[in-house]
Amino acid sequence: MKKIYLTIVILFTGISLLTFLNGCATSQAMTDKSGAQLWGENCVRCHNTPSPADYSDGQWEAIGMHMRLRTQTLSPDEMNKIVAFLQSGN
Amino acid sequence: MKKLITLIGVFLFLSIATSYSQNEAAEEALEQTGKLTETPGNTKTVLTGAAWFGFSSQKDDALKLNFNTYGFTPVFIWKLSDKLFLESELEIADGNIELEYAKLSYSLNKYMTIGAGRMLTPFGAYGTRWEPAFVERFPNSPLVPDDAYLPDDTHLYFGAIMGMDVSGDLPLGDLKMNYSLFVSNGPRLARSEETGELLGGVIQYENLDDNNANKAIGGRIGFFPLSNSSLELGVSGNTGKVGDAGDAAYKDIAATALAVDLNYTKAIPSIKSIISIKSQFSSLNVDKANYALSDSTTYTFDNKLQSLFVQFSFRPANVDNKILKNIELLYRYNSLTPPKDASWGGEPITRNDIGLCYWLSWRTGLRFAYEFTSRKGEPKTNEFLGRFVMGF
Repeated sequence: MKKIYLTIVILFTGISLLTFLNGCATSQAMTDKSGAQLWGENCVRCHNTPSPADYSDGQWEAIGMHMRLRTQTLSPDEMNKIVAFLQSGN
Repeated sequence: MKKLITLIGVFLFLSIATSYSQNEAAEEALEQTGKLTETPGNTKTVLTGAAWFGFSSQKDDALKLNFNTYGFTPVFIWKLSDKLFLESELEIADGNIELEYAKLSYSLNKYMTIGAGRMLTPFGAYGTRWEPAFVERFPNSPLVPDDAYLPDDTHLYFGAIMGMDVSGDLPLGDLKMNYSLFVSNGPRLARSEETGELLGGVIQYENLDDNNANKAIGGRIGFFPLSNSSLELGVSGNTGKVGDAGDAAYKDIAATALAVDLNYTKAIPSIKSIISIKSQFSSLNVDKANYALSDSTTYTFDNKLQSLFVQFSFRPANVDNKILKNIELLYRYNSLTPPKDASWGGEPITRNDIGLCYWLSWRTGLRFAYEFTSRKGEPKTNEFLGRFVMGF
């Protein structure tokens, strides 16, 4: 019985995810956010906002991916904007 | 085994079904940001991390002042391509050297990444996000069973698992959600390192080798209900059977952990300050079982463990005063409720932490806190803690 429940839960989760992916999209307001705005809104949730000068352009790319995968709170597009903002300050 | 195959099947199904939307937007973003493609070389490497040194002081303690904690936690980060990523942390702290985690990740598409290896447990938010030394504002951690109050380390709250996960974030119009689902080696009944005897229902997570055919499954789902991402609410859970393979007495005994976390962090322009409220409630329920006592009799108890912390911080980061803007004021309420009737359990413990952090840079600072700990039937204890943390 537990396996049946488990399978149902997994399928439900999968179908929900697919529904989200197909039915939802980022709104225009979210898409229009700049790298600076995203940097100010997101980094500070856990740690202080870093200075662009702390890392090189290439290092910011690696750190951006590290943060995205560690927290799952940023889409690739959002992280690319933040990284580009930090690189522009170098 | 069937469970594992089912999970892998679902992962693959999701991956194939979602991969269609992957590259278009990512490539578009790369083109728009231009500069991302200008850095030579595909492999991007960073050595980051933190080091710290700290002390504690108790008025009634004979030592008065004890320099008792130090650590160095280098984090190695490799971005091998837009899809391949490796991160690992070595923790050298208080006389121990340990590989904290080593996780290999492959991004299937913009919504989903597969990870494998030894990875931080996606249980609550503290262990994966707020625990790194340069992030944690206090010189101490929240009160959890991993502290010295209960035997052994459960490794549920700050630990790592051996297994695989899928994770990602999903847009919901103006809102967002994220997820992390895993299958890993399961928890087990902890044993005494000296005698090998069971510790009467204490659970041990973080198993490099599994002890039975049952795998633990679990994960965390987070939700951002505000468009400025200032508030995140998370729900986590995991479950697995804890008995050793072939041990009929405990083969059906499962441990189920649940957590709810909250993070509200916002810059308030009118007071030129940043306020933050972070909280996590965690519970661990183990099915009833009989455990042996030293006189060969057995006993059972309601094996439920709960912990809660709520912390508040205030930093006038945007005022003009150069000293004031680097000060962060802190308060944290902690409670830990062990199983009352367990041989290792007892009365609930409450701890209040009042602290101050002075930031020397965005990742380096001095932390101080005063702990007030109370437990029914025991004298109250106060302790002053300090820590100098340098992030790099």
